[in-house]
Amino acid sequence: MSSLKLLGLYRALFAIILTFLITSIFFIMSNTNPILAYYYIFVGAFGNINLIIETFVRATPILIISLGLAISFRCKVWNIGAEGQLYMGAMLGTITAIVLGESYFTFPIAFIMSLIGGALWASIPAFMKSKLGINEVITTFLMNFISINFIQWLLAFPFKSPETLFPESDRIPNSSILPILIPYTRMHLGIIIAFLLILPLIHFIITKTTFGFKLKAIGENPEAARYAGIDVEKILFLALVISGALAGMAGFIEVAGIQFRMRPTISPGYGYTGIVIALLGQNNPIGIALASIFIAAIINGSSTMSRMLNQPQGIVDFIQGLLIIFVLASDYILKYMSRRGLIKL
Amino acid sequence: MSSQIPSFFSNDIVLHVEGIRKVYPNGVIANDNVTLSVFKGEIHAILGENGAGKTTLVNIIAGCIKPDAGEIYVNGKKVNIDNPRTATKLGIGVVHQHFILIPALTVIENIALSLDSGFKLDLNKVREKILQISSLLNLKIDLNARIEELPVGLRQRVEILRVLCQNANILILDEPTSVLTPIEVEEFFRILRNLKEKGCSIILITHKVKEALSISDRITIMRKGKVIKTLTPKETNEEELTLLIIGEKQNSEFISLTEGNNKNKEILLLVNNLNVKGDRGELSVKNVSFSLYSGEILGIAGVAGNGQKELIEALTGLRKPESGTIIIRGENVINKKPKSLIKKGMAYIPEDRIGRGVILTMSIAENAILKIFEENPFSNKTIMNRNSITDYTQKLMKKFGIIAPNPNIEVRALSGGNIQRLIIARELSYNAKILIAENPTAGLDVRATDFTHRMLLDLRSKGMGILLVSADLDELLKLSDRILVMYNGKIMKEFNRNEYDIYKIARLMLGIEV
Ligand SMILES: Nc1ncnc2c1ncn2[C@@H]1O[C@H](COP(=O)(O)OP(=O)(O)O)[C@@H](O)[C@H]1O
Ligand SMILES: [Mg+2]
Repeated sequence: MSSLKLLGLYRALFAIILTFLITSIFFIMSNTNPILAYYYIFVGAFGNINLIIETFVRATPILIISLGLAISFRCKVWNIGAEGQLYMGAMLGTITAIVLGESYFTFPIAFIMSLIGGALWASIPAFMKSKLGINEVITTFLMNFISINFIQWLLAFPFKSPETLFPESDRIPNSSILPILIPYTRMHLGIIIAFLLILPLIHFIITKTTFGFKLKAIGENPEAARYAGIDVEKILFLALVISGALAGMAGFIEVAGIQFRMRPTISPGYGYTGIVIALLGQNNPIGIALASIFIAAIINGSSTMSRMLNQPQGIVDFIQGLLIIFVLASDYILKYMSRRGLIKL
Repeated sequence: MSSQIPSFFSNDIVLHVEGIRKVYPNGVIANDNVTLSVFKGEIHAILGENGAGKTTLVNIIAGCIKPDAGEIYVNGKKVNIDNPRTATKLGIGVVHQHFILIPALTVIENIALSLDSGFKLDLNKVREKILQISSLLNLKIDLNARIEELPVGLRQRVEILRVLCQNANILILDEPTSVLTPIEVEEFFRILRNLKEKGCSIILITHKVKEALSISDRITIMRKGKVIKTLTPKETNEEELTLLIIGEKQNSEFISLTEGNNKNKEILLLVNNLNVKGDRGELSVKNVSFSLYSGEILGIAGVAGNGQKELIEALTGLRKPESGTIIIRGENVINKKPKSLIKKGMAYIPEDRIGRGVILTMSIAENAILKIFEENPFSNKTIMNRNSITDYTQKLMKKFGIIAPNPNIEVRALSGGNIQRLIIARELSYNAKILIAENPTAGLDVRATDFTHRMLLDLRSKGMGILLVSADLDELLKLSDRILVMYNGKIMKEFNRNEYDIYKIARLMLGIEV
């Protein structure tokens, strides 16, 4: 393994260990044995085949989102708007499916429309970034609120299902629902799409294509990339739009695999969780796959842990926040340690 | 203590540096046994060519970099200036070559930032202090203006006010006039004289002979890191100073170049009335016209900052020109992107090797194909072919003598000379006809410099047209068939090889009309 990949692994492990250490302090302060807490988190995530499947169900949308984010993060475009792009994609996919009704084409067309929904929504900040030089962190983040409120309105009025009391859409046609692969579980086709199709595809794009090469060159030194003739603005635009498309896809897979209706609550912040995962996975698809399973396990396992030990479930957000901080800080800390001769890099 | 200077503890000497030496990690000896004294209430000019080591000396006195040897005395006491704060406390105020103001903040806020005002920010107190100082010196400035709204001349005034508010009585100004218009220079000199009357000592760094003569009480000349001489304006003149700055040069140094192949010369690049704006929106390239022929090296001489950077960026598509034409093989390529210029056969060896020339965190192989990765066999435009990239790079490394264990090593592990070889190798990878070489040997050691020079001459004999932009006059005289002298954005004069006159060229570079 090259030293660079090794450093990436160190960084992630380092962040995870520190996070667990600090979380332990909080468990101890609330009179809980941290070992027991982590044990219940583990059991809750992997205790039996059903729980394992549930962990993968949870990992699916965040994997797709973070793979998309990896593309934009690789060229240092900080897309914080995956949450909004997810909602826009899911909404457009749902509307398309409902409008088309039962047919062979419903799923593929709705699926593609969800990509387009996310991509279009992302193309607004992408345009502002590449043509006007406006910082994407702010625009993508703020657009989340616009899209989520807009969708709440759509679901409360024009697209509200007459059958229910809640602000939610009609049920999507059966032909657009992702088939269940193992009966009596939620193991739907979307999990396979995410892990066996999208994951290798993004891996291929990043490592084997000229586009992936351009992303890396721009991310590492935009000035040199521009001088070498790479159309930096175009790639920045594309990277943001692609990450939007994948977020949109994640949203629709959530509708077509789990919820069957568009709801204003389909994502409990997956767009933000995706950021944690992309950072933890160091923008490397394999790392990201592992990180999504890891985070999904913590999310699922925490509910078991909180039931068994009477601890707040908010610990999940706490852990995610710490992970972000430590991944970002790890570079400095590891370099500091190696300068001091404490570790060898 | 090594002091043998009799007047050493004289009350008149406010600053004395003794035996300062600085060798940069890349081996450049920027300061070599530099010794000089500054009297109370004098304007002391330090005069020298680009790269003479002036800025290095300033940075050492300011506590920004650590010298390898030498001592600094302030008011007769030996001091250890290990960081800029210490320098400030000792009353040394520095206005750096590159301003360090925050554009979005107002004048008063910028000055307040640099004052040690404790936890609570009392803008009124700062305002009082600034007004007191500015009225004393008759310096007019709108304290509530944001820095970004101010022209360069006024920004400089803010910098000066800033250091004065820190109670500096030794003021060091690094190339302060290079950003000013002639009228601003006059106003600026008036301020300096005022400061001097108030008892400030001023060190004025410059490469402009005329200015040094007109304003200073004493002039110290630096060349190649050494102090050559200190004298007063009365006992010298422009001629002598120019000589001292550039040093003795043998005319025989530059006659060894073989005559270029004069037949079958074609115009590769035709530039007409080109105007280009710089980063601050000022016109940096003014009505520049020239043509570059095949099989020649056309030198552009000039002190850095006279429009060369903007000219190069316009030619390579990195900067949008205001007006004019750039014609390559009959086609006007103005406003074309770098990629189409590369396609048209334009190669470029940038001065900023680290920032622009290579991507340090990518491998040798990835850098080697940075301009050709979309060509066969490196990719089919979509999918990269790693094997052929590795093979190609291995051959390239052998051919250009790039020393590294394998092509997958990150470029940051290479030495400066090897990085330059890699850049040259890459620029020659796509059969370009035109090569722009921007200070191609700056910071390189003797071996790498020699390699680069040989390479350029070899390419010239193969019919390439080379635009050699260099601040190193020796290099230009040695290599170029023709030299254009650039000063203040304009081409001052063209010299053919048989007309080379080092002093004429040097004087033109310094803005002295011949
Ligand atoms: N940070 C640095 N690292 C390596 N070399 C440097 C550095 N800064 C300056 N140099 C080299 O030191 C020499 C003196 O530079 P400098 O002090 O900036 O000269 P001046 O201000 O007189 O133009 C030059 O050859 C320059 O290339
Ligand atoms: Mg300098």
